[in-house]
Amino acid sequence: MNNNANTRTLLLLSPGIIWMTLFLMAPLIMMVYVSFWTQTTFTIKPDLTLQSWINFFNSDTYFGALLRTIRIWLTVLFITFVIGYPVALFIGQFIKNKTLQTALLVTCVIPFWTSFLIRVLAWRPMLGKEGAINILLQKIGLINAPIEVLLFTELSVIIGMVQIYVVFMVGPIAFMIGRIDESLIESARDLGASAWFIFRKIILPLSMPGVIVGAIFVTVMVLGEFATASALSGRKVNLLGNIIITQVGSLKWAFAAVVGVVLTMVMAVFVAIMLKIVNLRSQL
Amino acid sequence: MLEVKGLSKSFNDVNAVSDISFSVDSNSYVSLLGASGCGKSVLLRLVAGLLAPDEGAVYLNGIDITLQPCNERQIGFVQQKYALFPHLNVYDNIAFGLRHRTVDPITDEAIVKKEVFEIIELVGLQGQEYKMTGQISGGQKQRVSLSRTLVTKPSICLLDEPLGALDANLRERMTIELQNIRAELGISFMHVTGNEFEALAMGQKMLVMEEGRIVRQGKPQELYNLPLDLATAKSMHSFNIFSGALMKDVINKAKSQKHSSPHSGKASYCALRMDKIDIQEGTNSGSGIPVEFVANEFLGNKTIYFFKTNCGHICEVEEHMSLTAPRNLSPNKEYQLNFSAQQILLYDENHLLIK
Repeated sequence: MNNNANTRTLLLLSPGIIWMTLFLMAPLIMMVYVSFWTQTTFTIKPDLTLQSWINFFNSDTYFGALLRTIRIWLTVLFITFVIGYPVALFIGQFIKNKTLQTALLVTCVIPFWTSFLIRVLAWRPMLGKEGAINILLQKIGLINAPIEVLLFTELSVIIGMVQIYVVFMVGPIAFMIGRIDESLIESARDLGASAWFIFRKIILPLSMPGVIVGAIFVTVMVLGEFATASALSGRKVNLLGNIIITQVGSLKWAFAAVVGVVLTMVMAVFVAIMLKIVNLRSQL
Repeated sequence: MLEVKGLSKSFNDVNAVSDISFSVDSNSYVSLLGASGCGKSVLLRLVAGLLAPDEGAVYLNGIDITLQPCNERQIGFVQQKYALFPHLNVYDNIAFGLRHRTVDPITDEAIVKKEVFEIIELVGLQGQEYKMTGQISGGQKQRVSLSRTLVTKPSICLLDEPLGALDANLRERMTIELQNIRAELGISFMHVTGNEFEALAMGQKMLVMEEGRIVRQGKPQELYNLPLDLATAKSMHSFNIFSGALMKDVINKAKSQKHSSPHSGKASYCALRMDKIDIQEGTNSGSGIPVEFVANEFLGNKTIYFFKTNCGHICEVEEHMSLTAPRNLSPNKEYQLNFSAQQILLYDENHLLIK
């Protein structure tokens, strides 16, 4: 009986295990392994060496790209939270009609009906020297000369990424806020708490799992980014993702693998910390 | 003292409560009885300030608080499903109001601790202080919810079906404890319930609500012994209500007895208490109504027998086991229900008792 149950469990699990082993574990192990291979200009040999790792941490260009990636990621994460939370609060708490709630969430996703690249490139005619924003600001007389910092800078990369990824912050938070039982808020009001205290002591803590899930979504996507950075910075802002692309392009597999491992580690550490803060399994 | 005058509220043109007036004296226990959906919870929310009334006013100790925000009223509200904050432990749940209220919050943690532990002792939650709310039982959750409200020392505490989610054993214990806790603190309780026994047992004063209106208020014994209107009689779940041909039949049977009512012509309904009916085997005498036995329900200290009249109406008879042994009735035999004419209450077309 027990044996039968075990066999059945294994049988049910096997498709998932096979899939994860083939397409997640094997590539990850391979990536770590390749990062220690010996790289020459045109060839790569499976002789183990630390050379690619030493090169990465010794080079200002590459290590600088790591720091830049982390800086832009944290900035985008912070701004998506600051913009996303109030929107989610509005949808989850102030809209009582479930249909309207869903409609508003779907509205947030409308930009996703176009392709990712078009969404990124659409920012160019908006932010450029002769772009919509500069023309508008000049027309209403707020500025005399166009603001040049808007396009082909780190700022434009941040603006682009925030617009693209903010919805991934809104969704999970709105979902969690929408799940907060109205009677909790009523009780807190009846116990004498003001709207501000109800937000700080009830709504914010209870929506934290949503914030964590949103932060993980945004993090995973921003850290792996390369297209927005190259399209909106005129290739001036190099993120780790861009470096992987160039290294793979010039057949430097070992070095690309080093960057890949570093990126994966940053994500893993962040996700681990986030999951430590909030016990998602008990909350969702 | 809480006074409610002409309170009305409608949602999408449907009246939830209309023209409700009542008062709750200080240091008293008032129960409000009503079937589910009759507007009890809406009424409590209006009083607590969680909803704004369309018309009417609420006075607390003579001051009009109708427009006062909920968090500034001295009215406690214990929610039906406890509404405990799931991310806080028992202690922090109870301390919430003391720490975070708008009016006169307590910043000294030593005072918070003293007050929380006092109320924990009063409601008997010792040892549970640092457990999360998911780790305690239903009865304990109920106590946390109650003490969380009581610790803020409201002038009046509204309890929305406080015993509804508890098992029968615990419910009986809590009935007594609630009364003791209230007496100890000296504040007023307004206990809302759909259970007539709870309402009768708890309240010094009882309000009966039907379809958004308070139909009757008074002392529980008086309302039970002589319901002045049909809604009150119905809400007690202790009366058989007859109308139409069956009612005429019952009245005629009563008239055949010596005490006939001179006003029976005006009656549209009549009510007969379930425990004032006598079951007789066979249909030999002319003063009772012939019935068919359907089923019985043995409840330990009493048994309820269900009979079907000739016109298909179900009639219930209650017999207390201290007065008689359980009967062994059979669906194949004929029975007759006898009653004394004095026990029949007559109601006119406006559902009011004909005296």
